[in-house]
Amino acid sequence: MSGPDGSALVVNGRAHPIDGVPSHERLLDTLRGRLDLKGTKEGCRTGNCGACTVLVDGRSALSCLVLTHEVGDEPVTTIEGIAADPNGRRVQQAFLEEGALQCGYCTPGFVVALTGLLSESPGATAEELLTDLQGNLCRCTGYAAIVRAVRTLRAEGP
Amino acid sequence: MIRADAPAKLEGRIRFGTDRTRPGMLWAALVPAPVAHGRIRQLDLDPARRAPGVVAAIGAAEERALLPGRGAEATPIFPGEIRYRNQPIAAIAARSLEEARAAARAVRAEIEPLPLLADLDSVLPGWPEEGLPADAPINAHVRARHGDVEGEFARADRVRRDAFRTSGVAQVPLEPHACIAWIEGEVWHVLTSTQSPFGVREDAGELLGLPPERLVVEGSWVGGGFGGKVAALVEPYALLLAAASGAPVRLALTYREEFQLTRSTLPARVWIASAVRGGHLTARTVRLLLDTGGSLPGRDFATGYAIAFLLGPYRLDAFEVEGYAVRTHKPPFGSHRAPLAPQCTFAADGHTDALARDLGVDPVAFRRAHVWTAGDRTALGQEVGPFGAAAALDRARALQEEWRRSMPAGTGLGVGLGYWSTGTGAGGEVRLSLTPERLTIHEGEREIGSGSVVRGLVAMAERTLGLPADRIVLEYGDTATAPYDAGVFGSRTLGALGQAVGAAAHELTAELGRRLGAAGPARLGVEGDELWAAADGRRSPIAQLLTPGERDHGGLLRTGRHYGRSGAIDPARVHAGEFYAYHDFTASVHLAAVQVDRETGQVTVLRYAAIQDAGRVIDPPTFRAQVEGGVAMGLGTALTEEMLWGPDGRLENPGLLDYRVPTLLEIPPIEVIPLEGFPGAGPEGAKGVGEPPIIPVPAAVANAVADATGVRLYELPLTPERVARALMAR
Ligand code: FES
Ligand code: FES
Repeated sequence: MSGPDGSALVVNGRAHPIDGVPSHERLLDTLRGRLDLKGTKEGCRTGNCGACTVLVDGRSALSCLVLTHEVGDEPVTTIEGIAADPNGRRVQQAFLEEGALQCGYCTPGFVVALTGLLSESPGATAEELLTDLQGNLCRCTGYAAIVRAVRTLRAEGP
Repeated sequence: MIRADAPAKLEGRIRFGTDRTRPGMLWAALVPAPVAHGRIRQLDLDPARRAPGVVAAIGAAEERALLPGRGAEATPIFPGEIRYRNQPIAAIAARSLEEARAAARAVRAEIEPLPLLADLDSVLPGWPEEGLPADAPINAHVRARHGDVEGEFARADRVRRDAFRTSGVAQVPLEPHACIAWIEGEVWHVLTSTQSPFGVREDAGELLGLPPERLVVEGSWVGGGFGGKVAALVEPYALLLAAASGAPVRLALTYREEFQLTRSTLPARVWIASAVRGGHLTARTVRLLLDTGGSLPGRDFATGYAIAFLLGPYRLDAFEVEGYAVRTHKPPFGSHRAPLAPQCTFAADGHTDALARDLGVDPVAFRRAHVWTAGDRTALGQEVGPFGAAAALDRARALQEEWRRSMPAGTGLGVGLGYWSTGTGAGGEVRLSLTPERLTIHEGEREIGSGSVVRGLVAMAERTLGLPADRIVLEYGDTATAPYDAGVFGSRTLGALGQAVGAAAHELTAELGRRLGAAGPARLGVEGDELWAAADGRRSPIAQLLTPGERDHGGLLRTGRHYGRSGAIDPARVHAGEFYAYHDFTASVHLAAVQVDRETGQVTVLRYAAIQDAGRVIDPPTFRAQVEGGVAMGLGTALTEEMLWGPDGRLENPGLLDYRVPTLLEIPPIEVIPLEGFPGAGPEGAKGVGEPPIIPVPAAVANAVADATGVRLYELPLTPERVARALMAR
């Protein structure tokens, strides 16, 4: 599905017309405000916390720094659609088992970012994954359980 | 055990305060004061009113008109006199957030600047050597003493004096404050991300002049609180805008505003002196200057309570403490996970560590020789109950020896000893209802992330009744429907509300035992879809034990209460101001291993262990998670976190780039060691664990830096610059 001028945003496998969306609107606001996909969290809006992480064409992106119209026809995956990706399900399971969340506000960002990393570099070691997760902040867990979840995932293999 | 809220949080299905909407909702923006101190001569809201999309623009005049019934003595929400930079002087509701923000920028204010009280150094440069100026801006004065202080210092064979400075720190929850307000007839409603719905009802009700029955507060899921969401902050503005516009209004702080407006721990200066005779710590004196920002006189809660931490958990023959809460033009002082305790412990424990090294005594052994045990009294004369400090110090000493053998040369090891006592606040209650399918806990607290509600309360019901967690449901309600409780803060939730759940659950099992015709209480269980109860070999499905009325109307109900508890201090020792007596003295002993880069001053924490006096661990994963999270937050306080205000009262680092919270690779492996056997007053002897683990972190790290380098730091945080300077000055 696309709008009269043909522009559409594909999120979790569904196309949404976006021709009414102003050119300066951020992907974060389109997802949360227009598509009611509130799983993607709004934190700092300056690219410093990672709470708003989504996948754009499989790669993790901070949706507060991406303009909706910049996305073009690259598919967007949010936390609501992450379970369709087997890596997403594995990450969710590892976080569940290790109790890698408290308030949960950083959680969608971590799950999405880690899913993207696993898909992008299936051979990455736990240390490499953790290095790449540094842009995601968590104020509750002290990261300890998140680190355990990443190690569990790696122990299971790629 | 998997937390009941985990699947929904992992799938993005949980709705936080920032996620909530209401049909017809307007968006709000606050108009920040452009100076830190000044008098508003004129406020012109017309340019904002004419801006596109604006439905309401309100300032002090509109506030008065909207609140005709409010008493004349009430503190205005929009000030006549600005007390801190960015204090909201007006607010806008518009059809979109962009329009609200644009209109906020259009507001014109004529402001007469007034002299600024920027910080402790400029306000009281000479104290304590010099006296206090007559016109000193003081919010509170506290003073206590006991014993022959001067005599002990005169008789001492060793005296040590130190001065410390600590920084303001921000809570930095990932979710900023957010709420939606609306009016239904006479009743004002607000849905908000809060640690305390009833506390917000009280605070906002006082500001708005609304009695409890006319203000209903509903909590949402909370994306982190850490003390910053205990008191009302955004709610009064949103409520006024809802009243002015006649529509629901959503107000969320920007992340920048989150730093600028949230009430938190502010800077302090501390002076400590100790007297030692024959190897014994005999007396200690303490001076404290605490920046309390724009706190209103009479609203200081921190000074009398913080000053006790500076004496340490030690037996003393004599002591004297004196402190002032100083007014400056910053936002008011507020709660931050164990407010001021990590900072005071950094000073007190660092001083004690240095004193032991002066004496040539092992610092852990020195603390061990003086620390309270059950039956001792605090300096203020309060009796100390079961307290695990001595046992925790023994563990730390053994661990330290082990680490010494295994860690590379140049590693510094430091032990930090902190303590906490819990304030349970006013009493509160929960209601349990048992139906053939499940047990429902009706209570007034929301889960802030710590797990004290979704795990703590549920675990208590599980343990008392014998039911699995998946048959236990939490029902939160709002302040009109839920039973009262003071809030999720002060490490009190399990001890207070968990106790209430246990009490109600015991009544349920006793009643079911009676209905089974048994002598004792029943145990519950599940078979297939059905709950059953059993006692003395008798057993029956719950459905058959309920009366027809109970079956039709919500099941078998029982209420459990807890009562606010406190200890007692000796009033003869208090000479001025207010001191507090909480209960359940709880020890935290931490061991840090650090490496210090002598060129750059960079401190790297390699390894960490936290020994936590737990009373009794009710839910091991939740306990561990609280300790790990507390340590990480404490490492931020120790190493990087510092709010910086300019001479004009402007916060210079209101964002994550300049205010640095710990990131993933900065946190070392943390070994969590629960210490049981020193019970508190919580259920099964549990002690609160939300705050204690943050308390000794800056002390442990600074003591480790001193061990590594021979140089002691007297100012928090231990930034590379400060460390490098101290190393150079040696
Ligand atoms: S909201 Fe996008 S990085 Fe913080
Ligand atoms: S779980 Fe609260 S911020 Fe990560």
